[in-house]
Amino acid sequence: MLKIDHLTKRYKDTTALDDLDFEVKPGVVTGFLGPNGSGKTTTMRLILGLDHPTKGRATIDGLSYADLKAPLREVGALLDAKAVHPGRTARNHLRALAASNQIPKARVDEVLEFVGIASVAHKKVGSYSLGMSQRLGIAGALLGDPGVLLFDEPVNGLDPEGIKWIRDFFRSLAKEGRTVFVSSHLMSEMAVSADQIIVIGRGRFITQGSVDDLTATAHGTVFVRVSDPPQLISLVKNQNGTVEEMNDGNLTISGLTSDQIGGIAFNAGITILELTPQRASLEDVFMDLTADSLEFGSSKPETAHHE
Amino acid sequence: MSKNENVVSTAKSEWIKFRTVNSTIIGIAMLFFLTIGFSLLITLVLRAHWDQSTRIDRLTFDPVSTSLVGVFFAQFAVGVIGVLFISAEYSSGSIRTTLAAVPNRVRLVTGKVIVLFGSMFVVCEVVTFVTFLMGQAVFSGVVPTASLSSGSVLRAVILTGVYLALLTLLGFALGLILRQSAASISVFVVILLIVPLISLSFPESWRNDIERFELGNLWTSMASTTTPAHLFSAWSAFAALAIYVVVFLAAGTMLLQTRDA
Repeated sequence: MLKIDHLTKRYKDTTALDDLDFEVKPGVVTGFLGPNGSGKTTTMRLILGLDHPTKGRATIDGLSYADLKAPLREVGALLDAKAVHPGRTARNHLRALAASNQIPKARVDEVLEFVGIASVAHKKVGSYSLGMSQRLGIAGALLGDPGVLLFDEPVNGLDPEGIKWIRDFFRSLAKEGRTVFVSSHLMSEMAVSADQIIVIGRGRFITQGSVDDLTATAHGTVFVRVSDPPQLISLVKNQNGTVEEMNDGNLTISGLTSDQIGGIAFNAGITILELTPQRASLEDVFMDLTADSLEFGSSKPETAHHE
Repeated sequence: MSKNENVVSTAKSEWIKFRTVNSTIIGIAMLFFLTIGFSLLITLVLRAHWDQSTRIDRLTFDPVSTSLVGVFFAQFAVGVIGVLFISAEYSSGSIRTTLAAVPNRVRLVTGKVIVLFGSMFVVCEVVTFVTFLMGQAVFSGVVPTASLSSGSVLRAVILTGVYLALLTLLGFALGLILRQSAASISVFVVILLIVPLISLSFPESWRNDIERFELGNLWTSMASTTTPAHLFSAWSAFAALAIYVVVFLAAGTMLLQTRDA
Protein backbone atom coordinates (compact mmCIF):
# COMPACT_ATOMS: atom_id res chain seq x y z
CA MET A 1 0.00 0.00 0.00
CA LEU A 2 1.10 3.48 -0.85
CA LYS A 3 0.89 6.10 1.87
CA ILE A 4 1.42 9.81 1.48
CA ASP A 5 2.14 11.02 4.96
CA HIS A 6 1.79 14.78 5.50
CA LEU A 7 3.99 15.50 2.54
CA THR A 8 5.17 19.07 2.11
CA LYS A 9 7.54 20.27 -0.60
CA ARG A 10 8.76 23.82 -0.99
CA TYR A 11 10.98 25.11 -3.75
CA LYS A 12 12.50 28.40 -2.68
CA ASP A 13 9.38 30.54 -2.35
CA THR A 14 6.76 28.32 -3.96
CA THR A 15 4.98 25.57 -2.08
CA ALA A 16 4.45 22.67 -4.45
CA LEU A 17 2.86 20.36 -1.89
CA ASP A 18 1.18 21.48 1.27
CA ASP A 19 0.69 18.80 3.93
CA LEU A 20 -0.65 16.28 1.44
CA ASP A 21 -1.97 13.23 3.24
CA PHE A 22 -3.78 10.21 1.79
CA GLU A 23 -3.53 6.49 1.15
CA VAL A 24 -3.77 4.58 -2.08
CA LYS A 25 -5.24 1.13 -1.62
CA PRO A 26 -4.43 -1.98 -3.61
CA GLY A 27 -6.99 -3.74 -5.81
CA VAL A 28 -8.49 -0.64 -7.38
CA VAL A 29 -7.41 1.95 -9.90
CA THR A 30 -6.90 5.23 -8.05
CA GLY A 31 -7.05 8.37 -10.12
CA PHE A 32 -4.92 11.30 -9.01
CA LEU A 33 -6.61 14.35 -10.32
CA GLY A 34 -5.72 17.99 -10.31
CA PRO A 35 -5.21 20.88 -12.68
CA ASN A 36 -1.82 21.38 -14.29
CA GLY A 37 0.72 22.57 -11.75
CA SER A 38 -1.24 21.22 -8.79
CA GLY A 39 1.59 18.98 -7.61
CA LYS A 40 0.77 15.59 -9.13
CA THR A 41 4.18 15.06 -10.69
CA THR A 42 5.92 16.43 -7.59
CA THR A 43 4.06 13.86 -5.51
CA MET A 44 5.16 11.07 -7.85
CA ARG A 45 8.78 12.29 -7.71
CA LEU A 46 8.70 12.35 -3.93
CA ILE A 47 7.28 8.81 -3.83
CA LEU A 48 10.25 7.67 -5.94
CA GLY A 49 12.72 9.53 -3.77
CA LEU A 50 13.85 11.70 -6.69
CA ASP A 51 13.19 14.89 -4.75
CA HIS A 52 13.57 15.41 -1.05
CA PRO A 53 10.44 16.33 0.89
CA THR A 54 10.51 19.47 3.01
CA LYS A 55 8.34 17.66 5.53
CA GLY A 56 6.58 14.32 5.80
CA ARG A 57 7.24 11.22 3.76
CA ALA A 58 5.87 8.77 1.27
CA THR A 59 6.00 5.06 2.07
CA ILE A 60 5.44 1.82 0.21
CA ASP A 61 4.27 -0.86 2.63
CA GLY A 62 5.77 1.19 5.41
CA LEU A 63 9.17 1.71 3.78
CA SER A 64 10.67 4.76 2.17
CA TYR A 65 11.55 4.23 -1.47
CA ALA A 66 15.28 4.45 -0.69
CA ASP A 67 14.94 1.53 1.74
CA LEU A 68 13.45 -0.88 -0.80
CA LYS A 69 15.83 -3.77 -1.45
CA ALA A 70 14.96 -4.05 -5.14
CA PRO A 71 12.79 -1.03 -5.92
CA LEU A 72 11.79 -2.07 -9.43
CA ARG A 73 10.27 -5.26 -8.01
CA GLU A 74 8.14 -3.25 -5.62
CA VAL A 75 7.26 -0.10 -7.51
CA GLY A 76 6.96 0.44 -11.24
CA ALA A 77 6.70 4.00 -12.43
CA LEU A 78 6.17 5.87 -15.63
CA LEU A 79 6.85 9.55 -15.05
CA ASP A 80 8.16 10.95 -18.28
CA ALA A 81 8.06 8.66 -21.28
CA LYS A 82 10.71 10.69 -23.09
CA ALA A 83 13.20 10.41 -20.23
CA VAL A 84 15.25 7.76 -21.99
CA HIS A 85 18.63 8.16 -23.69
CA PRO A 86 17.57 8.73 -27.30
CA GLY A 87 20.62 6.92 -28.67
CA ARG A 88 19.93 3.64 -26.95
CA THR A 89 17.61 0.94 -28.27
CA ALA A 90 14.49 0.06 -26.33
CA ARG A 91 15.76 -3.44 -25.60
CA ASN A 92 19.11 -2.18 -24.29
CA HIS A 93 17.36 0.43 -22.18
CA LEU A 94 15.23 -2.26 -20.56
CA ARG A 95 18.15 -4.68 -20.26
CA ALA A 96 20.12 -2.09 -18.30
CA LEU A 97 17.12 -1.45 -16.05
CA ALA A 98 16.59 -5.17 -15.51
CA ALA A 99 20.25 -5.76 -14.67
CA SER A 100 20.21 -3.07 -11.99
CA ASN A 101 17.56 -4.96 -10.03
CA GLN A 102 18.60 -8.50 -10.96
CA ILE A 103 15.55 -9.08 -13.09
CA PRO A 104 16.09 -11.95 -15.57
CA LYS A 105 16.83 -10.94 -19.16
CA ALA A 106 13.90 -13.03 -20.44
CA ARG A 107 11.55 -10.63 -18.70
CA VAL A 108 12.68 -7.83 -21.04
CA ASP A 109 11.32 -9.60 -24.12
CA GLU A 110 8.19 -10.52 -22.20
CA VAL A 111 7.30 -6.90 -21.38
CA LEU A 112 8.30 -5.68 -24.86
CA GLU A 113 5.90 -8.24 -26.32
CA PHE A 114 3.21 -7.30 -23.82
CA VAL A 115 3.19 -3.58 -24.63
CA GLY A 116 3.42 -4.30 -28.34
CA ILE A 117 6.77 -2.78 -29.28
CA ALA A 118 8.80 -5.99 -29.62
CA SER A 119 9.10 -5.50 -33.37
CA VAL A 120 10.79 -2.09 -32.93
CA ALA A 121 12.79 -2.94 -29.79
CA HIS A 122 16.06 -2.89 -31.76
CA LYS A 123 15.46 0.72 -32.85
CA LYS A 124 16.83 3.73 -31.06
CA VAL A 125 14.38 5.31 -28.69
CA GLY A 126 15.02 8.73 -30.21
CA SER A 127 13.09 7.65 -33.29
CA TYR A 128 10.01 6.68 -31.28
CA SER A 129 6.70 8.53 -31.37
CA LEU A 130 5.29 9.69 -28.04
CA GLY A 131 2.87 6.78 -28.10
CA MET A 132 5.68 4.26 -28.58
CA SER A 133 7.71 5.95 -25.84
CA GLN A 134 4.69 5.67 -23.52
CA ARG A 135 4.54 1.96 -24.26
CA LEU A 136 8.26 1.62 -23.57
CA GLY A 137 7.75 3.49 -20.30
CA ILE A 138 4.95 1.11 -19.36
CA ALA A 139 7.21 -1.83 -20.23
CA GLY A 140 9.83 -0.38 -17.89
CA ALA A 141 7.28 -0.01 -15.12
CA LEU A 142 6.16 -3.63 -15.50
CA LEU A 143 9.70 -5.02 -15.70
CA GLY A 144 9.96 -6.01 -12.04
CA ASP A 145 6.36 -7.25 -11.80
CA PRO A 146 5.78 -4.74 -8.99
CA GLY A 147 2.86 -4.53 -6.59
CA VAL A 148 2.63 -0.76 -6.83
CA LEU A 149 2.36 1.06 -10.14
CA LEU A 150 2.57 4.80 -10.69
CA PHE A 151 1.64 6.42 -13.97
CA ASP A 152 1.94 10.15 -14.54
CA GLU A 153 -0.42 11.29 -17.30
CA PRO A 154 -0.16 7.97 -19.14
CA VAL A 155 -2.73 8.63 -21.84
CA ASN A 156 -0.82 11.61 -23.22
CA GLY A 157 0.19 10.83 -26.76
CA LEU A 158 -1.74 7.60 -27.02
CA ASP A 159 -4.17 7.04 -29.87
CA PRO A 160 -7.76 6.05 -29.06
CA GLU A 161 -6.91 2.38 -29.40
CA GLY A 162 -3.98 2.86 -27.03
CA ILE A 163 -6.18 4.70 -24.53
CA LYS A 164 -8.70 1.87 -24.58
CA TRP A 165 -5.87 -0.61 -24.15
CA ILE A 166 -4.37 1.25 -21.22
CA ARG A 167 -7.72 1.53 -19.41
CA ASP A 168 -8.29 -2.21 -19.64
CA PHE A 169 -4.70 -2.73 -18.63
CA PHE A 170 -5.06 -0.62 -15.46
CA ARG A 171 -8.17 -2.56 -14.52
CA SER A 172 -6.47 -5.90 -15.00
CA LEU A 173 -3.48 -4.75 -12.91
CA ALA A 174 -5.83 -3.68 -10.13
CA LYS A 175 -7.77 -6.94 -10.39
CA GLU A 176 -4.51 -8.78 -9.70
CA GLY A 177 -4.44 -6.98 -6.37
CA ARG A 178 -1.89 -4.33 -7.30
CA THR A 179 -1.96 -0.71 -6.25
CA VAL A 180 -2.51 1.37 -9.38
CA PHE A 181 -2.06 5.11 -9.03
CA VAL A 182 -2.72 7.14 -12.17
CA SER A 183 -2.48 10.89 -12.44
CA SER A 184 -4.38 13.00 -14.92
CA HIS A 185 -5.66 16.51 -15.37
CA LEU A 186 -8.60 15.18 -17.36
CA MET A 187 -11.64 14.41 -15.24
CA SER A 188 -13.39 12.72 -18.14
CA GLU A 189 -10.48 10.30 -18.49
CA MET A 190 -10.46 9.48 -14.80
CA ALA A 191 -14.23 9.05 -14.75
CA VAL A 192 -13.96 6.07 -17.05
CA SER A 193 -10.63 4.60 -15.97
CA ALA A 194 -10.50 5.04 -12.18
CA ASP A 195 -12.49 3.48 -9.35
CA GLN A 196 -11.29 5.86 -6.69
CA ILE A 197 -10.35 9.45 -7.23
CA ILE A 198 -8.12 11.71 -5.18
CA VAL A 199 -8.41 15.38 -6.06
CA ILE A 200 -5.69 17.90 -5.29
CA GLY A 201 -5.27 21.55 -6.13
CA ARG A 202 -2.36 23.88 -5.45
CA GLY A 203 -0.58 21.08 -3.64
CA ARG A 204 -3.42 20.58 -1.20
CA PHE A 205 -5.67 17.60 -0.72
CA ILE A 206 -9.22 18.50 -1.77
CA THR A 207 -11.29 15.36 -1.67
CA GLN A 208 -11.26 11.63 -2.14
CA GLY A 209 -13.95 9.15 -3.10
CA SER A 210 -15.50 7.03 -5.81
CA VAL A 211 -16.76 8.68 -8.96
CA ASP A 212 -20.34 8.35 -7.65
CA ASP A 213 -19.41 9.81 -4.26
CA LEU A 214 -17.94 12.84 -5.91
CA THR A 215 -20.90 13.58 -8.13
CA ALA A 216 -23.31 12.99 -5.26
CA THR A 217 -21.70 15.66 -3.14
CA ALA A 218 -22.09 18.21 -5.86
CA HIS A 219 -25.19 20.36 -5.89
CA GLY A 220 -27.04 20.05 -9.11
CA THR A 221 -29.32 22.66 -10.60
CA VAL A 222 -32.97 22.50 -11.51
CA PHE A 223 -34.34 23.64 -14.82
CA VAL A 224 -37.80 25.24 -14.47
CA ARG A 225 -40.38 26.56 -16.88
CA VAL A 226 -43.42 28.17 -15.16
CA SER A 227 -46.45 30.32 -15.94
CA ASP A 228 -45.25 33.25 -13.86
CA PRO A 229 -41.47 33.47 -13.75
CA PRO A 230 -41.11 36.82 -11.85
CA GLN A 231 -43.23 35.55 -8.95
CA LEU A 232 -41.27 32.32 -8.67
CA ILE A 233 -37.99 34.20 -8.81
CA SER A 234 -38.88 36.32 -5.80
CA LEU A 235 -40.19 33.31 -3.87
CA VAL A 236 -37.06 31.28 -4.61
CA LYS A 237 -34.85 34.17 -3.58
CA ASN A 238 -36.75 34.35 -0.27
CA GLN A 239 -35.76 30.72 0.30
CA ASN A 240 -32.09 31.53 -0.38
CA GLY A 241 -32.10 29.89 -3.80
CA THR A 242 -30.15 31.31 -6.70
CA VAL A 243 -31.89 31.91 -9.97
CA GLU A 244 -30.44 32.33 -13.37
CA GLU A 245 -32.96 33.73 -15.79
CA MET A 246 -32.64 32.78 -19.39
CA ASN A 247 -33.77 34.85 -22.35
CA ASP A 248 -36.96 32.90 -22.97
CA GLY A 249 -38.11 33.16 -19.36
CA ASN A 250 -36.85 29.71 -18.42
CA LEU A 251 -35.07 29.50 -15.09
CA THR A 252 -32.11 27.53 -13.76
CA ILE A 253 -32.28 27.34 -9.99
CA SER A 254 -29.54 26.20 -7.69
CA GLY A 255 -29.50 25.85 -3.92
CA LEU A 256 -32.93 24.22 -3.80
CA THR A 257 -34.06 20.72 -4.73
CA SER A 258 -36.74 20.06 -7.34
CA ASP A 259 -39.05 18.90 -4.53
CA GLN A 260 -38.68 22.23 -2.72
CA ILE A 261 -39.25 24.24 -5.87
CA GLY A 262 -42.32 22.18 -6.73
CA GLY A 263 -43.70 22.89 -3.25
CA ILE A 264 -43.08 26.62 -3.52
CA ALA A 265 -44.79 26.81 -6.88
CA PHE A 266 -47.76 24.77 -5.72
CA ASN A 267 -48.33 26.95 -2.63
CA ALA A 268 -48.21 30.09 -4.73
CA GLY A 269 -50.48 28.68 -7.36
CA ILE A 270 -47.90 28.89 -10.09
CA THR A 271 -48.32 26.39 -12.88
CA ILE A 272 -45.24 24.31 -13.51
CA LEU A 273 -44.71 23.60 -17.19
CA GLU A 274 -41.40 21.85 -16.77
CA LEU A 275 -39.22 20.89 -13.77
CA THR A 276 -36.02 18.96 -14.45
CA PRO A 277 -33.25 18.27 -11.92
CA GLN A 278 -29.90 18.45 -13.63
CA ARG A 279 -27.19 16.28 -12.15
CA ALA A 280 -23.75 17.79 -12.03
CA SER A 281 -21.30 16.09 -14.33
CA LEU A 282 -18.00 14.92 -12.96
CA GLU A 283 -16.39 17.65 -15.01
CA ASP A 284 -18.53 20.27 -13.21
CA VAL A 285 -17.58 18.80 -9.87
CA PHE A 286 -13.94 18.95 -10.72
CA MET A 287 -14.19 22.52 -11.93
CA ASP A 288 -16.05 23.38 -8.78
CA LEU A 289 -13.56 21.70 -6.48
CA THR A 290 -10.48 23.12 -8.07
CA ALA A 291 -11.80 26.51 -9.08
CA ASP A 292 -9.85 28.24 -6.33
CA SER A 293 -6.69 26.33 -6.94
CA LEU A 294 -5.94 26.82 -10.60
CA GLU A 295 -2.44 28.04 -11.04
CA PHE A 296 -3.33 30.04 -14.10
CA GLY A 297 -7.08 30.36 -13.73
CA SER A 298 -8.94 32.03 -16.53
CA SER A 299 -11.40 34.55 -15.24
CA LYS A 300 -14.88 34.66 -16.65
CA PRO A 301 -15.02 36.83 -19.73
CA GLU A 302 -16.64 40.12 -18.87
CA THR A 303 -18.93 41.97 -21.16
CA ALA A 304 -17.40 45.12 -22.44
CA HIS A 305 -19.43 48.21 -21.87
CA HIS A 306 -19.30 50.98 -24.40
CA GLU A 307 -20.44 54.36 -23.31
CA MET B 1 22.21 -15.40 -5.57
CA SER B 2 20.41 -12.68 -3.71
CA LYS B 3 17.73 -10.92 -5.68
CA ASN B 4 18.49 -7.61 -4.09
CA GLU B 5 20.23 -4.74 -5.66
CA ASN B 6 23.89 -4.48 -4.95
CA VAL B 7 26.91 -2.75 -6.35
CA VAL B 8 27.54 -5.65 -8.75
CA SER B 9 24.06 -5.42 -10.26
CA THR B 10 24.45 -1.65 -10.49
CA ALA B 11 27.78 -2.05 -12.29
CA LYS B 12 26.25 -4.62 -14.68
CA SER B 13 23.49 -2.20 -15.51
CA GLU B 14 25.92 0.68 -16.01
CA TRP B 15 28.10 -1.50 -18.21
CA ILE B 16 25.15 -2.15 -20.52
CA LYS B 17 24.43 1.58 -20.56
CA PHE B 18 28.06 2.50 -21.19
CA ARG B 19 28.53 0.30 -24.23
CA THR B 20 25.13 0.77 -25.85
CA VAL B 21 25.41 4.43 -26.80
CA ASN B 22 27.23 5.82 -29.80
CA SER B 23 28.95 8.54 -27.80
CA THR B 24 31.09 5.92 -26.05
CA ILE B 25 32.00 4.17 -29.31
CA ILE B 26 32.76 7.46 -31.07
CA GLY B 27 34.69 8.76 -28.07
CA ILE B 28 36.91 5.68 -27.96
CA ALA B 29 37.39 5.79 -31.74
CA MET B 30 38.45 9.44 -31.41
CA LEU B 31 40.78 8.50 -28.57
CA PHE B 32 42.57 5.97 -30.79
CA PHE B 33 42.54 8.18 -33.85
CA LEU B 34 43.91 11.26 -32.06
CA THR B 35 46.53 9.51 -29.95
CA ILE B 36 47.89 7.22 -32.63
CA GLY B 37 47.41 9.73 -35.45
CA PHE B 38 49.24 12.64 -33.85
CA SER B 39 51.96 10.44 -32.37
CA LEU B 40 52.57 8.89 -35.77
CA LEU B 41 52.68 12.27 -37.47
CA ILE B 42 55.09 13.79 -34.97
CA THR B 43 57.39 10.79 -34.66
CA LEU B 44 57.65 10.59 -38.45
CA VAL B 45 58.50 14.28 -38.72
CA LEU B 46 61.07 13.91 -35.95
CA ARG B 47 62.72 10.95 -37.65
CA ALA B 48 62.86 12.81 -40.98
CA HIS B 49 64.56 15.83 -39.38
CA TRP B 50 66.72 14.03 -36.83
CA ASP B 51 69.94 14.80 -38.73
CA GLN B 52 69.17 18.52 -38.41
CA SER B 53 68.64 18.41 -34.63
CA THR B 54 71.07 20.17 -32.33
CA ARG B 55 73.25 18.57 -29.70
CA ILE B 56 70.99 19.93 -26.94
CA ASP B 57 67.95 18.46 -28.68
CA ARG B 58 69.67 15.12 -28.78
CA LEU B 59 70.77 15.26 -25.14
CA THR B 60 67.30 16.16 -23.82
CA PHE B 61 65.46 13.84 -26.18
CA ASP B 62 63.06 11.45 -24.41
CA PRO B 63 61.88 8.65 -26.70
CA VAL B 64 59.11 7.66 -24.26
CA SER B 65 57.18 10.92 -23.82
CA THR B 66 57.91 11.98 -27.40
CA SER B 67 56.35 8.81 -28.78
CA LEU B 68 53.29 9.40 -26.57
CA VAL B 69 52.79 13.03 -27.65
CA GLY B 70 49.32 12.26 -29.09
CA VAL B 71 48.13 11.72 -25.52
CA PHE B 72 47.83 15.50 -25.33
CA PHE B 73 44.84 15.26 -27.68
CA ALA B 74 43.57 12.08 -26.08
CA GLN B 75 42.98 14.03 -22.88
CA PHE B 76 40.01 15.80 -24.47
CA ALA B 77 38.52 12.61 -25.86
CA VAL B 78 38.57 10.85 -22.48
CA GLY B 79 37.25 13.95 -20.72
CA VAL B 80 34.26 14.04 -23.04
CA ILE B 81 33.62 10.32 -22.58
CA GLY B 82 33.61 10.79 -18.81
CA VAL B 83 31.41 13.89 -18.88
CA LEU B 84 28.83 12.36 -21.21
CA PHE B 85 28.53 9.18 -19.17
CA ILE B 86 26.61 11.20 -16.59
CA SER B 87 25.59 14.46 -18.29
CA ALA B 88 23.70 12.59 -21.03
CA GLU B 89 21.53 11.14 -18.28
CA TYR B 90 20.61 14.64 -17.24
CA SER B 91 20.06 16.00 -20.75
CA SER B 92 17.82 13.07 -21.69
CA GLY B 93 16.12 12.94 -18.30
CA SER B 94 17.02 9.27 -17.93
CA ILE B 95 18.74 10.06 -14.63
CA ARG B 96 15.27 9.82 -13.06
CA THR B 97 14.79 6.31 -14.43
CA THR B 98 18.29 5.45 -13.24
CA LEU B 99 17.70 6.78 -9.72
CA ALA B 100 14.34 5.03 -9.50
CA ALA B 101 16.13 1.77 -10.27
CA VAL B 102 19.10 2.55 -8.01
CA PRO B 103 17.93 4.93 -5.28
CA ASN B 104 21.18 4.62 -3.36
CA ARG B 105 23.26 7.48 -4.78
CA VAL B 106 26.59 6.28 -3.42
CA ARG B 107 26.01 2.86 -4.97
CA LEU B 108 25.08 4.44 -8.27
CA VAL B 109 28.26 6.52 -8.41
CA THR B 110 30.33 3.53 -7.30
CA GLY B 111 28.82 1.36 -10.03
CA LYS B 112 29.41 4.01 -12.67
CA VAL B 113 32.99 4.60 -11.51
CA ILE B 114 33.77 0.87 -11.57
CA VAL B 115 32.49 0.59 -15.15
CA LEU B 116 34.05 3.81 -16.39
CA PHE B 117 37.44 3.32 -14.80
CA GLY B 118 37.56 -0.41 -15.49
CA SER B 119 36.77 -0.12 -19.17
CA MET B 120 38.71 3.09 -19.79
CA PHE B 121 41.77 1.74 -17.97
CA VAL B 122 41.92 -1.18 -20.41
CA VAL B 123 41.24 1.05 -23.42
CA CYS B 124 43.80 3.68 -22.38
CA GLU B 125 46.50 1.10 -21.64
CA VAL B 126 45.93 -0.47 -25.05
CA VAL B 127 46.13 2.88 -26.79
CA THR B 128 49.27 4.00 -24.92
CA PHE B 129 51.11 0.69 -25.47
CA VAL B 130 50.19 0.66 -29.16
CA THR B 131 51.27 4.28 -29.50
CA PHE B 132 54.52 3.72 -27.63
CA LEU B 133 55.47 0.63 -29.65
CA MET B 134 54.53 2.36 -32.90
CA GLY B 135 56.69 5.35 -31.95
CA GLN B 136 59.71 3.17 -31.14
CA ALA B 137 59.23 1.35 -34.45
CA VAL B 138 59.27 4.69 -36.27
CA PHE B 139 62.38 5.83 -34.36
CA SER B 140 64.33 2.60 -34.68
CA GLY B 141 67.52 2.81 -36.68
CA VAL B 142 67.61 6.60 -36.76
CA VAL B 143 66.43 8.09 -33.48
CA PRO B 144 67.33 6.63 -30.04
CA THR B 145 64.59 4.29 -28.77
CA ALA B 146 63.35 3.10 -25.39
CA SER B 147 62.48 -0.45 -24.42
CA LEU B 148 59.74 -1.78 -22.17
CA SER B 149 62.31 -4.07 -20.58
CA SER B 150 63.47 -1.03 -18.64
CA GLY B 151 61.43 -0.66 -15.44
CA SER B 152 61.16 3.11 -15.60
CA VAL B 153 60.05 3.02 -19.27
CA LEU B 154 57.40 0.42 -18.51
CA ARG B 155 56.22 2.55 -15.57
CA ALA B 156 56.01 5.66 -17.75
CA VAL B 157 53.89 3.89 -20.37
CA ILE B 158 51.57 2.24 -17.84
CA LEU B 159 51.14 5.47 -15.85
CA THR B 160 50.25 7.37 -19.04
CA GLY B 161 47.34 4.96 -19.51
CA VAL B 162 46.43 5.41 -15.85
CA TYR B 163 46.60 9.19 -16.30
CA LEU B 164 44.06 9.06 -19.13
CA ALA B 165 41.78 6.68 -17.25
CA LEU B 166 41.84 8.95 -14.18
CA LEU B 167 41.18 11.95 -16.41
CA THR B 168 38.02 10.16 -17.61
CA LEU B 169 36.89 10.00 -14.00
CA LEU B 170 37.67 13.69 -13.54
CA GLY B 171 35.41 14.47 -16.52
CA PHE B 172 32.74 12.22 -15.03
CA ALA B 173 33.00 13.99 -11.67
CA LEU B 174 32.64 17.38 -13.37
CA GLY B 175 29.54 16.09 -15.18
CA LEU B 176 28.17 14.89 -11.87
CA ILE B 177 28.70 18.31 -10.31
CA LEU B 178 27.55 20.49 -13.23
CA ARG B 179 24.96 18.10 -14.79
CA GLN B 180 25.37 19.75 -18.17
CA SER B 181 27.49 18.48 -21.04
CA ALA B 182 28.65 21.81 -22.47
CA ALA B 183 29.41 23.40 -19.11
CA SER B 184 31.27 20.34 -17.86
CA ILE B 185 33.39 20.01 -21.00
CA SER B 186 34.20 23.73 -20.86
CA VAL B 187 35.35 23.53 -17.26
CA PHE B 188 37.38 20.44 -18.13
CA VAL B 189 39.15 22.34 -20.92
CA VAL B 190 39.70 25.32 -18.64
CA ILE B 191 41.38 23.14 -16.02
CA LEU B 192 43.49 21.43 -18.66
CA LEU B 193 44.50 24.40 -20.82
CA ILE B 194 43.63 27.75 -19.28
CA VAL B 195 44.89 27.20 -15.75
CA PRO B 196 48.49 26.60 -16.97
CA LEU B 197 48.25 29.82 -19.04
CA ILE B 198 47.17 31.81 -16.01
CA SER B 199 50.03 30.45 -13.94
CA LEU B 200 52.45 31.69 -16.63
CA SER B 201 51.84 35.21 -15.36
CA PHE B 202 53.06 34.33 -11.89
CA PRO B 203 56.67 35.02 -10.79
CA GLU B 204 58.96 32.13 -11.50
CA SER B 205 59.54 31.26 -7.84
CA TRP B 206 55.79 30.77 -7.43
CA ARG B 207 55.50 28.90 -10.67
CA ASN B 208 58.06 26.37 -9.54
CA ASP B 209 55.83 25.62 -6.55
CA ILE B 210 52.49 25.74 -8.33
CA GLU B 211 52.98 24.25 -11.76
CA ARG B 212 53.69 20.74 -10.56
CA PHE B 213 50.01 20.54 -9.51
CA GLU B 214 48.69 21.23 -13.02
CA LEU B 215 47.17 18.27 -14.83
CA GLY B 216 49.54 18.49 -17.80
CA ASN B 217 52.55 18.50 -15.50
CA LEU B 218 51.18 15.58 -13.54
CA TRP B 219 51.19 13.70 -16.82
CA THR B 220 54.72 14.90 -17.57
CA SER B 221 55.79 13.45 -14.22
CA MET B 222 53.90 10.22 -14.72
CA ALA B 223 55.31 9.75 -18.24
CA SER B 224 58.92 10.51 -17.23
CA THR B 225 61.58 7.94 -16.69
CA THR B 226 63.25 10.36 -14.24
CA THR B 227 61.84 13.05 -11.97
CA PRO B 228 61.74 16.34 -13.92
CA ALA B 229 63.00 19.53 -12.26
CA HIS B 230 60.42 21.30 -10.06
CA LEU B 231 57.86 18.56 -10.75
CA PHE B 232 56.55 15.59 -8.79
CA SER B 233 58.04 12.14 -9.07
CA ALA B 234 55.91 9.70 -11.11
CA TRP B 235 54.21 8.07 -8.14
CA SER B 236 53.64 11.35 -6.28
CA ALA B 237 52.01 12.75 -9.41
CA PHE B 238 49.83 9.66 -9.61
CA ALA B 239 48.83 10.15 -5.97
CA ALA B 240 48.07 13.85 -6.55
CA LEU B 241 45.86 13.06 -9.53
CA ALA B 242 44.09 10.31 -7.59
CA ILE B 243 43.38 12.80 -4.81
CA TYR B 244 41.92 15.30 -7.31
CA VAL B 245 39.64 12.59 -8.68
CA VAL B 246 38.52 11.43 -5.24
CA VAL B 247 37.79 14.98 -4.08
CA PHE B 248 35.77 15.84 -7.19
CA LEU B 249 33.90 12.53 -7.07
CA ALA B 250 33.10 13.02 -3.40
CA ALA B 251 31.79 16.52 -4.09
CA GLY B 252 29.69 15.21 -7.00
CA THR B 253 28.28 12.36 -4.93
CA MET B 254 27.40 14.71 -2.10
CA LEU B 255 25.58 17.02 -4.49
CA LEU B 256 23.76 14.05 -6.03
CA GLN B 257 22.56 13.07 -2.58
CA THR B 258 21.36 16.47 -1.52
CA ARG B 259 19.96 17.85 -4.78
CA ASP B 260 16.59 17.02 -6.26
CA ALA B 261 17.09 14.92 -9.36
